[in-house]
Amino acid sequence: MKKEWIMLIGQITCLTAVYQLSVFLVSFFHLPVPATVLGMAMLLFLFSKGLVQIRFVEKGALFLTKHLGFFFIPIAVSLMSYGKLFQSNGLAFTVMIAGSSLIGLAVTAGISDCLSQKRRFRK
Amino acid sequence: MTAFFVAATIGAYFLSRMLARRFPIPLTTPVLTSTVLLIALLSTANIPYRDYIPAKEIMTFLLGPATVSLAVPLYQNWNVLKERFFPAVAGLVVGTLSTIASAVWIASAFGLSETIQASAAVKAITTPVAMEAAVIVGGDPAIAVAFVIMAGIFGAVFGPFVLTLFKITDPFSRGLSIGTVSHGIGTSQAVLEGPIQGAVSSAAMGLSAIFTSLVLPWLFPIL
Repeated sequence: MKKEWIMLIGQITCLTAVYQLSVFLVSFFHLPVPATVLGMAMLLFLFSKGLVQIRFVEKGALFLTKHLGFFFIPIAVSLMSYGKLFQSNGLAFTVMIAGSSLIGLAVTAGISDCLSQKRRFRK
Repeated sequence: MTAFFVAATIGAYFLSRMLARRFPIPLTTPVLTSTVLLIALLSTANIPYRDYIPAKEIMTFLLGPATVSLAVPLYQNWNVLKERFFPAVAGLVVGTLSTIASAVWIASAFGLSETIQASAAVKAITTPVAMEAAVIVGGDPAIAVAFVIMAGIFGAVFGPFVLTLFKITDPFSRGLSIGTVSHGIGTSQAVLEGPIQGAVSSAAMGLSAIFTSLVLPWLFPIL
């Protein structure tokens, strides 16, 4: 039990190091990408080249992604200081989110469905 | 006081997870119920948001590493995605562009400010990336988070229903579109539909975040 916790903390520390390294790289080279995206890309590269085995960070990564929702809660609480903005623009915001999400859903699913069917016919 | 806020947030999170397990419907998404609970608590006690900020800083320390960790499920689901790579990428790219463009255009049609439009452009992608990407194009990270959460909840609640209405029955396409427009909150709902939907949705959420952050600095000024 204790050993598992130490391993989990160790893996999370490694993932934190990867993230901090990408934060440093983004600010040092003024890269126009978010640090999180660079970190994800670096990890994918390391996995695919076999430089890092996925099991070395798997437990920590799955723990963090399982509780990913938790980290959004303190950020979402900041909404309480935007009460007025949402009261006066509630309708516009709802139409915008609902409308653009509907369009995105239909376009993404429509294209993927259509192209996959074509491919199946060719086979 | 900060220790109390941290404890209250963790407590709210565990309560809302129990609620979500007991009533597995999209409206019980833990992010939504915990946030409502905490805002209700703070406003009833007449505590201003700025008192909560130190606690927030402590709790979000691991958000960056947690987002980077999404590379693991992304890598694990790579084979499902590779098999239908071209339809997936075509759907994801055009779908992402259309959801960004329509969000910005609807916002400007309502006469909303440039800051709001920039924050709306990132509403389909996962929160930490959305916050950073919004700032790059002149948006407000907190408003971006609000839109991201709204889009996530919308996709989770109405996504499956809308797709059935459009006669999309293919599990791969259903997962892909839910992950593309409603990130992690939508993905948590897609998992309930089936393993293919869940795997493709989590991969799509990662890829659309990467694609959006790369294309937005060039796309936003021409919209």
